[in-house]
Amino acid sequence: MLKGFTRQYKPLDLLTEEETEAIHRGALYVLEKTGMRVEHDRALRLYAEHGCRVDWEARRVRIPSGLVEECLRQVPSGYILRARDPDKDLMVGGNTVYFMQGMGMRYVDLDTWEARPATIQEHREAMIVADALENVHLADGVFFYMDRQGIPPVMVMLENLVSGLRHSTKAEQFGYQKDCEIFAIQIAQALGINLNPELDTASPLTLYGGSVEAAFRYVEAGIPIQPCSSITMGAEGPVTLAGSMVLGVAIVMAWAVLTQLIRPGAPMSIQHGLKPMDMQRGSPRFGSPEYALTGAAMNQMLRKYGIPSCPGSGFTSTSKKIDFQAGYEKAMGALLSALSGGNLLIFQGGSCAELLYHPVLSILDDDVAGWIGRFLQGITVTDETLAIDLINQIGPIPGHYLSAAHTREWMRRELFLPKVADLEPYAAWIRSGKQDAMALARKRMEQILATHQPQPLTPDQEQAIEDILKEARNYYRQRGLISDAEWTTYMRTLESQI
Amino acid sequence: MQNLILENLARALKDYDAQAAARWARTAIEQGIAPLQALETLTEAIREVGDAFATGECFLPELVSAAEAMQAAMPILEQELHRTGVARGSVGKVVAGTVAGDIHNIGKSMLCTLLVADGFEVIDLGIDVPTDRFVEAVRQHQPDVLAMSALLTITALEQRNVIEALKEAGIRDQVKVVVGGGAINEQFAASIGADGYDPTAPGGVKLIRQLLGK
Repeated sequence: MLKGFTRQYKPLDLLTEEETEAIHRGALYVLEKTGMRVEHDRALRLYAEHGCRVDWEARRVRIPSGLVEECLRQVPSGYILRARDPDKDLMVGGNTVYFMQGMGMRYVDLDTWEARPATIQEHREAMIVADALENVHLADGVFFYMDRQGIPPVMVMLENLVSGLRHSTKAEQFGYQKDCEIFAIQIAQALGINLNPELDTASPLTLYGGSVEAAFRYVEAGIPIQPCSSITMGAEGPVTLAGSMVLGVAIVMAWAVLTQLIRPGAPMSIQHGLKPMDMQRGSPRFGSPEYALTGAAMNQMLRKYGIPSCPGSGFTSTSKKIDFQAGYEKAMGALLSALSGGNLLIFQGGSCAELLYHPVLSILDDDVAGWIGRFLQGITVTDETLAIDLINQIGPIPGHYLSAAHTREWMRRELFLPKVADLEPYAAWIRSGKQDAMALARKRMEQILATHQPQPLTPDQEQAIEDILKEARNYYRQRGLISDAEWTTYMRTLESQI
Repeated sequence: MQNLILENLARALKDYDAQAAARWARTAIEQGIAPLQALETLTEAIREVGDAFATGECFLPELVSAAEAMQAAMPILEQELHRTGVARGSVGKVVAGTVAGDIHNIGKSMLCTLLVADGFEVIDLGIDVPTDRFVEAVRQHQPDVLAMSALLTITALEQRNVIEALKEAGIRDQVKVVVGGGAINEQFAASIGADGYDPTAPGGVKLIRQLLGK
């Protein structure tokens, strides 16, 4: 199991007990009084069978508070996220903090800062980097480079998943789209992994058929799901932070009820993203202080419920470049998410909302993750770390601690060493050609690609995956979701890789 | 008296008060004000809000609220225009929708509201619109512009499918296609063969006017 980081002190509580209760009761009231629109007949029947009031015509379900609270109690406080290599399994929940890569639809050129669809080679390289980085605990191959050269849109998620599995032994994530969860479940079963798929919710108060259908499929296959409670405040929810919290928590509750009604005790976590709308541009304000506030408060609510939390605050910036703004927006969001009890932080590699991804940014972000991890570890206070005997022994100047055994004993455990930060003294920096963190990260990427070799899949695993992919390709081809032209390009792209 | 009514109509829009806008529109008709004149008052008022938005003085929710107030008053004036046989040409016809698999409604709705306030006739197909419904709507309504939205990175590529389907149906040339959504950009729009892209709703209105040479 990967240990990730452990928060060694009490979490940041933004809200008082009374305030969390006010939000909790507000959400209960909304579910019972306003209800959710759920566009899925089987789910509506299930809700109805368990005492919910269903308006079949409006597809609106009103959920009694008692059922909500019972289901919230039933959700396990954690689960094992199984990786291809069991040594890299994650135990999600509690005071453990893991990091995973962020999202980014396209590859960004580091000289022109322009974006374009990624090649197979670029996806592979990004995965190898993720496999090598010590603070990427979940190596998500699915949600970056969704725009791929030569691959039909309907196959991108599955091809990304397989590329991820081929080039990393760490835990993987998935989603849902046009039945591709059927094939993802087959792949998970063939490899003994469990994917932690994320499922969308639409705000305000709506569950669409696609994500609910995927929830049934995953939960029945014993796979832990990760529904998203995502709101653009001022558009999809109240502009007040507390008001959007009420909506955000109501979504959490609706999913908890659905999951527990499908299979009591089924594990889940919640991904959340309550961010303000940019009032001039209409776009979500990633990297804003309000997003960090709701992120911390949602972490607090989920701790109260004992449901693992996957905060989005800090996962991206609106900056188009890897620059100062990207650095501070991402780092502050991630730090506050970690301090307030987030369990699985979406973080390394993505920027420009969800548009861009680059492994060099992953490498830079990995240092930030390490920095945060060190902060979570806190200050160890024991007889040995207090070092009172040592202080007594060394005394005033000319005494010093450089050659003390205690220094050698503790320095690696106490001090964080970033991999690509510019730490050089000024003169050495001039001599080295004035290299900044960006230059050092580019160098580290070259070095990783030259030396790091992820453990390949076994021939049996390769065969099993190839068979499933073939079935998926035919499935979509037969349904007309891959056009003739796309198919020709696709086949040529695959052949060029052999 | 008539001036006072028109002033109140403009004031209702600038107060973002849809009910008052509808009420003053009704009063205007009752008091014999020419519907075209009332419409002009509203257009002038929404233009002022639009200008304030452009300078950053007013925010998007204010612009949308003003447009909704206009939307509330317009059917009343249009009905009167229709009754008295006065023609008010629409600036153009737009079919809009969010693509299949995508359930994001806000951006597309904002665009529709602003377009209506700007004098366009809008057919809103809603969210999660399958490719063939877009094609069918273009065939049926013969719009000047098809506007598609996709917020998710996964679904942005659906926009390409719709454009391909329009080509296959032989009606791609009959309509300008514009795309929007946070996950994409100009290059992407060009690469899938769209005629234009804008990331924002107010920008989308400008873009559509430009494409139609209005």
